[in-house]
Amino acid sequence: MLIRFLQTNREASVAVIILLLFVVLGVVDTSYLSFETVLSIYNNSLILLVIAIGATLVMATRGLDVSIGSIMGLSAAVAGILMNGQFGIGPSIAIALFVGLLCGLFNGFMVAILRVPAIVATLGTLGLYRGLVHLVTSGSWIEGLPEGFKGLSHAGFLGLSAFAWIVLFLLVGTHCWLRYTAFGRSLFAVGDNREGARLLGIKVRQVQLTAYAINGVLAALAGIIFAAQIGFIPNTAGNGMEMRAIASSVLGGVSLLGGTGTVIGAGLGAYFMTSIDSVLVMLRLDAFWNDMIAGGILLVVLIADGKIREAMGSALRYQKYRKFIETDAQNDKSVETPTIKELGEVRK
Amino acid sequence: MTEQIPSTLRETLIKADAIWKFFGSVSVLKGVDLTLESGQIHALLGGNGAGKSTLMKIIAGLHPVDRGDLYVGGVKANNLTPVLSRQLGIHLVPQEPMLFPNLTVEENVLMHMPGNRAELKSRLIDLIKEVGSSLELHTPAGQLEVADQQMVEILRGLIRNARILILDEPTSALTPREVAKLFTRMRALSAQGVGIFFISHKLGEIREIAETVSILRDGKVVLAGPPKSFSDAEIVRAMTQIEGKSAFEIDEARPEFTEGMEVLRVQNLCGEGFAHISFSLHAGEVLGLAGVVGSGRTELAETLYGIRKAARGRITVDGLDLTETSPIKSLDHGVVYLPEDRQSSGLFVDASLCWNSSSLVLYREPAWLRLGAEEQRFQDYVKSLGIVCASSSQAVRTLSGGNQQKILLAKCLAANPKVLILDEPTRGVDVAVRADIYRLIDDLAARGVAILLISSDHEEVQRLSNRVLVMDHGHPGGELRGAEISVDTIAQLSFGVTAEQGAKQC
Amino acid sequence: MNRLHFLKRWETVLAILLIGEILVFGAINPAFLRPSTLLFSTSDFVHIGIVALALTLVIITGGIDLSIGAVMGLAAITLGLLWVNGVNIWIACFGALCVGCATGVLNSVAIHVAKVNPLVITLGSSFLFSGAALVLSGLGGASGYEGISGFDASFVELANLEVLGLPFPLVIFFVATGIFMVILHRTRFGRYIYLIGQNDRAARYAGVPQFRTLTIAYALTGIMAALSGLVLASYFGSARSDFGSAALMPAITAVVLGGTSIYGGSGTILGTALAALLVGYFQTGLQIIGVSSHVSNALSGGLLVLVVALRSLSEMGRAYYLQWRVLKSVGQQTS
Repeated sequence: MLIRFLQTNREASVAVIILLLFVVLGVVDTSYLSFETVLSIYNNSLILLVIAIGATLVMATRGLDVSIGSIMGLSAAVAGILMNGQFGIGPSIAIALFVGLLCGLFNGFMVAILRVPAIVATLGTLGLYRGLVHLVTSGSWIEGLPEGFKGLSHAGFLGLSAFAWIVLFLLVGTHCWLRYTAFGRSLFAVGDNREGARLLGIKVRQVQLTAYAINGVLAALAGIIFAAQIGFIPNTAGNGMEMRAIASSVLGGVSLLGGTGTVIGAGLGAYFMTSIDSVLVMLRLDAFWNDMIAGGILLVVLIADGKIREAMGSALRYQKYRKFIETDAQNDKSVETPTIKELGEVRK
Repeated sequence: MTEQIPSTLRETLIKADAIWKFFGSVSVLKGVDLTLESGQIHALLGGNGAGKSTLMKIIAGLHPVDRGDLYVGGVKANNLTPVLSRQLGIHLVPQEPMLFPNLTVEENVLMHMPGNRAELKSRLIDLIKEVGSSLELHTPAGQLEVADQQMVEILRGLIRNARILILDEPTSALTPREVAKLFTRMRALSAQGVGIFFISHKLGEIREIAETVSILRDGKVVLAGPPKSFSDAEIVRAMTQIEGKSAFEIDEARPEFTEGMEVLRVQNLCGEGFAHISFSLHAGEVLGLAGVVGSGRTELAETLYGIRKAARGRITVDGLDLTETSPIKSLDHGVVYLPEDRQSSGLFVDASLCWNSSSLVLYREPAWLRLGAEEQRFQDYVKSLGIVCASSSQAVRTLSGGNQQKILLAKCLAANPKVLILDEPTRGVDVAVRADIYRLIDDLAARGVAILLISSDHEEVQRLSNRVLVMDHGHPGGELRGAEISVDTIAQLSFGVTAEQGAKQC
Repeated sequence: MNRLHFLKRWETVLAILLIGEILVFGAINPAFLRPSTLLFSTSDFVHIGIVALALTLVIITGGIDLSIGAVMGLAAITLGLLWVNGVNIWIACFGALCVGCATGVLNSVAIHVAKVNPLVITLGSSFLFSGAALVLSGLGGASGYEGISGFDASFVELANLEVLGLPFPLVIFFVATGIFMVILHRTRFGRYIYLIGQNDRAARYAGVPQFRTLTIAYALTGIMAALSGLVLASYFGSARSDFGSAALMPAITAVVLGGTSIYGGSGTILGTALAALLVGYFQTGLQIIGVSSHVSNALSGGLLVLVVALRSLSEMGRAYYLQWRVLKSVGQQTS
């Protein structure tokens, strides 16, 4: 029963793991078990949350985007340059998001229209966009961002920053969008059975293109949040984030083979990945345990997942062939077949 | 049949006018003419590769028409797309359900439908009740049994108020009760003016439900009219006759055979898709395994070869228990399987001819490949099987179907078989190659190889087999020996025409 | 239109591109053409080629290994830790290679047991291995991200050693290329690699030992990643846990650019080797003529995008052309 529940509600298993983490924390020192801890981890996980949403969209269509780290860096750099060039904060952010959209569209074009394998296409743009970062910044860091911009990441209403509110809204919004709207479901349909989706009249390429485009915009948003949080933009901004985003989504139950997963699951995965960091600090353990714990848990979850699916598969297979395998009740059936003599008579 | 729309009020929904379709250089449809009227249930019958499914996919907009014209509701529609076809009210329920395994039943049915969700959902619930199904809306489709998956596909068409419904073998996975319910539903629909194409292998069903039947063979309609105007024998003959029979003498006597040692013995074998199968196979014997598609023949062959697990029973080869076998173990004991689907399980279509021909015996080779010997062996097969190719390094994909099949045979022969299981050895090959393959099978049997021949082509079974075993829905359906073997007797056993039904028609 | 011929041509294209590229850079800056520059600049990128060779095998089987970067770091740290604890440097090297082998076996077993896409499994294991490297370096030295240095001089000198006038890392690369060519193209194991990648199902029907073959392929990749980590450790004279983090994407790029299909089934060692040199010299060349290393990264990314898009377009064009030709010839027959 529990296994069945965890299988159909994969988010729940991540939630359980996060709870366990907090229990461990509570055992060590109860004073850490506060709403502030939850909030501070949330604030630390904003960037990963945003790109995990994007990764979920793309992975739902059976795609993959490893260029998001570079898109993050590129949009952050564009926003930074524009802001320091006396552009307003609003227009700068808008243009940066637009750059993200273009990057995403180009990825989508390669995958949906040119039919280049997703990992290869985005591997190429990973290098390409990163190079553009260095071109627009001429290799130097961008510092001295306007205070108003940095202020967007400072705590505000109910202890959450403006970005934190936006991300919360995004999480709920995209979750509902994916779960309850026709277009949202068609993303999953395309990933689950491309040919079947085409048969039902879904415009498969358009759906794929949209997923990559939105993913680009979200990566751009993550880059902007990053810039606002740390107050400057190194040209390595976003490096390696693609792997963390994919890992978060996978941990939260999004399948690389498309068709399954929820934004909430991916969000919980991202939250978990971040919380390990914070929890280690609170447990006064060295931060270097982080990746190993994350990787270990990821592998355990994946293998358990695979095992569960295998067990369900063989149960289904057994169901399908049950009437042949449990044959005792059918023993009499073979007697009824007509003999050739009878048939011969009929023909005459 | 139930009340019908008077023929004067009927309109033509689909008109196919000399439609041709090519895949690569192979023509699948060769000028098909067909019409569907509103309120008509039009059955399509034909063997594998006759072109039924291709024709239906063209009407559903999945393949474009290559030559000829397709009219939908009187309008020429040669460049249908799936979207357009759907807008015209055409719904295809494919043979293999095209579901989204990870999405729920509800989502699968309602995917990409305009309208109010709640309203659609309540309509779906009503519909499920109406067809008497016990589907639950929130089950992921991947966890359903095949029959239920088929039902989901049918519901998709029903809820979309399709004017033209195409059911590609909808009953193959249904129980008799479910079939009865489906038929009630189909009659109700046709009374409302829906035109239905119904593909089935079961004559009884066609007689029960269809107003018109068209029989396809080799890409053409060879027989058409109301089912009651044809006898079973006529229909079966129309379906199975081989084109260009004169190219070689099909009725050439089966070679005399002297029964050798028993090499394979199967005792009360049960497995995935078959039960209580017992037979023995002797050296030099060709045992035909007949039955309709989906009667468990391939599953039986795959179990003998070790791809699937047997649930109970015993397999012995030369007195050795091989019930728990694996492909390597089978090969080691001389049991070789030629798979039915050469593209997906038989050949490595992008690999070279030479690589393919040696792929079954690689494990016997030393770790260091002897490329010269490999090439030599391949050239021997080129000569002995008459394979037409430019070089041994060309990809299998570039060959014609017949030559691909010869490569597959070469691959099996290289393993030096004692028991050779041939699953549809002449599927999709032309007459000349077919004759070559028949001669080869005779020759192998004469040299003492025991052959288990699975074929849906009854003339082929008749021509080649010394003994025929018919399978009926996974169960033993009868055995024919010597003079008993004829196209008609095989057909009657495999189509499950019982004496009672036959009597009614005469 | 034969697929194998096409691949042969692809390697020729790569070789011509490589020579052309060297000549162009040489024309802009003749210093580039000096043999010592040409030879010793390879030490900057040859470690990518070394690991890409083994990765080619894995990708031909239809899999992928994202953990190679992490394994490079883990192997280097293992070496450092053993050395710091007084183990002989050569035994430490052997230990590092063993760790590399173990990571590959672990990957393969996890893929086999979970029956999950190799991409996801190796993504997970890359966190595990890079995490392990961090932990080990943290446990070994006091701080996590600092390297371990002070290796035996004989080990550090290896990277600068000349063998027959060639830098030692390049020699390793050439030897490895030769060995892998033989393994992939002349042995039964290599044939299995191709067959599994081309048609997994037909391979099962033909009795190909899939798990064993895949395990050896992943183990070889782990060993080569470890070797590549050792080369870097020797070249820099220190071992760091994040050594390989920048090597993963270029390695995959080399394999794909070398003509290996990311879906598996086709590809050659020579193609990968040439592509690794092509990309490596591309970057060095750009730097020598005064383009910043970051921009040169972008241009190599652009190169990959361009090549892959062109190949995809030409495939699509060919498919349309064939269909058109068939229809045309049929039209002539029937009318």
